[in-house]
Amino acid sequence: MNDRVAVVGVGNTPFKARHIDKTFPRLAYESVKAALGDAGAAKDDIDSVVYSIYNDFFEHCAMPDLHVHYQLGMARKPGVRITCGGATGGYAVRAAITEVASGLHDVVMVVGVEKVADVANVFDMVKSITFAADPFFEAQLGASPAGSYGGAILWHMEHYGTTVEDMARVVVKNKGNAMNNPDAQSPMEVTVQDVLKSPMIVHPLKILDHCLSSEGAATIILANEKAAERFSKDPVWITGLGAANESARQAERDDPGESLFPAVRASALAAYKMAGVTDPPSAIHVGEVYDSFSGVEIILYEEFGLCGWGEGVHFLRDGRADMGGSNPVNPSGGLIGGEHAIGATGVYQVAEVVRQIRGEAGARQVPNVTRGIAQSMGGARGAYSVTFVVEG
Amino acid sequence: MADDRDPRFVPIKVQDGFVVMPDRWKVDFWASMGELSRFFIEIKENARLMGMKCPRCGSVYFWPRSWCHDCYVDTKWVEMSGKGKVTVFGQVEVSLNDIQKEVPFIQGGVHLEGARYATPIGIKKVAFENLYTGMPVRAEFLPPGERTGRIRDFYFVPDE
Repeated sequence: MNDRVAVVGVGNTPFKARHIDKTFPRLAYESVKAALGDAGAAKDDIDSVVYSIYNDFFEHCAMPDLHVHYQLGMARKPGVRITCGGATGGYAVRAAITEVASGLHDVVMVVGVEKVADVANVFDMVKSITFAADPFFEAQLGASPAGSYGGAILWHMEHYGTTVEDMARVVVKNKGNAMNNPDAQSPMEVTVQDVLKSPMIVHPLKILDHCLSSEGAATIILANEKAAERFSKDPVWITGLGAANESARQAERDDPGESLFPAVRASALAAYKMAGVTDPPSAIHVGEVYDSFSGVEIILYEEFGLCGWGEGVHFLRDGRADMGGSNPVNPSGGLIGGEHAIGATGVYQVAEVVRQIRGEAGARQVPNVTRGIAQSMGGARGAYSVTFVVEG
Repeated sequence: MADDRDPRFVPIKVQDGFVVMPDRWKVDFWASMGELSRFFIEIKENARLMGMKCPRCGSVYFWPRSWCHDCYVDTKWVEMSGKGKVTVFGQVEVSLNDIQKEVPFIQGGVHLEGARYATPIGIKKVAFENLYTGMPVRAEFLPPGERTGRIRDFYFVPDE
């Protein structure tokens, strides 16, 4: 990157299954106001905006960013929307970084927002997601997001001995972590047995193994090194950025070796290289990563090099991903306990790592954090992934 | 929706003091299958599975693709044997879509003989507990009168 890129402000709404009292522009506005307040900035300090809004159907508007931009008081300033499935937030932050790092703008804001429960029922909501499937062949299969990840999890179970109890333990951890997050949607004390008894959706994933479906918004404000001096808090730096895509078709993968999510692996290695991270277990103090399904998080430990291939389940069983462990993963509650307002998610993850580095994470604070990762991914079997290394 | 009327003419509701306004997006398509057309015609008319082969590197694409993304040359149609092996599988217990409602149903990856990639597809006529990775399977087609020219005209069954 030409210029160093700092995060100077973060803000978000609480995340809920339903914000019936607020429209999506209102949710966006509230997160922007919170981020501006956090930075000690005014709206006129913003040079450009990147919108992170995943799905037109959720907002029942084909170009929702256009309607938000003016209402945020950003007339006659550039605004562009990014949409890339579950990686929408990651790619939106990446786009904003490029605007700052290239010298195009000094201060760029990323606004992630999603309404989802405006869709009349869960069937139409899932259908709207599956409209992203390959339109020539696979859309006719009637596959759901869980199915594409379920295959990878089953492979992991078969080859490495991961069990449904292990997956349930991720749920217990993340919903438990969410109890320390006042903005989380699903803080809950659950047991492994509770998870195992919940209804099966797509083998081996039960309902409690699934991520949440949330409404809410998150905003971060990025600035170059000189501009960062104008704002009130110490800058937190984005030192590593990696992004990678695979085929969006479910099974169209060349042999990726041991990686089950090769786009995730590629994005992680690129981010680590940029940041100079050579030993992830010692260098990465906290992670906010994309636990779309419980078993996915176990695989991610390996993709991020926090442990070796096939060791993810031991990393979990040994408590290393727990609060108090060597590398706490998803202190916010992640997507299973915290939130998954899709467009907001990747933005919120960065905001949470920034809070950890600042020491502002309250009851979910991990001690002595100076470096963390945020990662979001989307598409069939993690087809697109963006990873950030964030440092104080 | 409470009834089949166009929701845009259905009165608002008030929930917890806030208005929810019924709406619906309905868009019909006649989507061009373009250079892929033969694939669908062969399914419907001849119960044949067609892939496309790169003349340079030999990759066989199924689903078919009219160019090789490695070599950047056009590919040529080839008939697939219809035989393959299961690479991965799962059973859907709760269907969240309106295309395939008959739960439970099994979907899996099938690696067709000679193909570069596995293909996600329905697997039938086998109990979930009897499926295994590597199981030999073969394509089976719906009877001619029931075929619509879509990929759900065929599925895979054990070939043992």
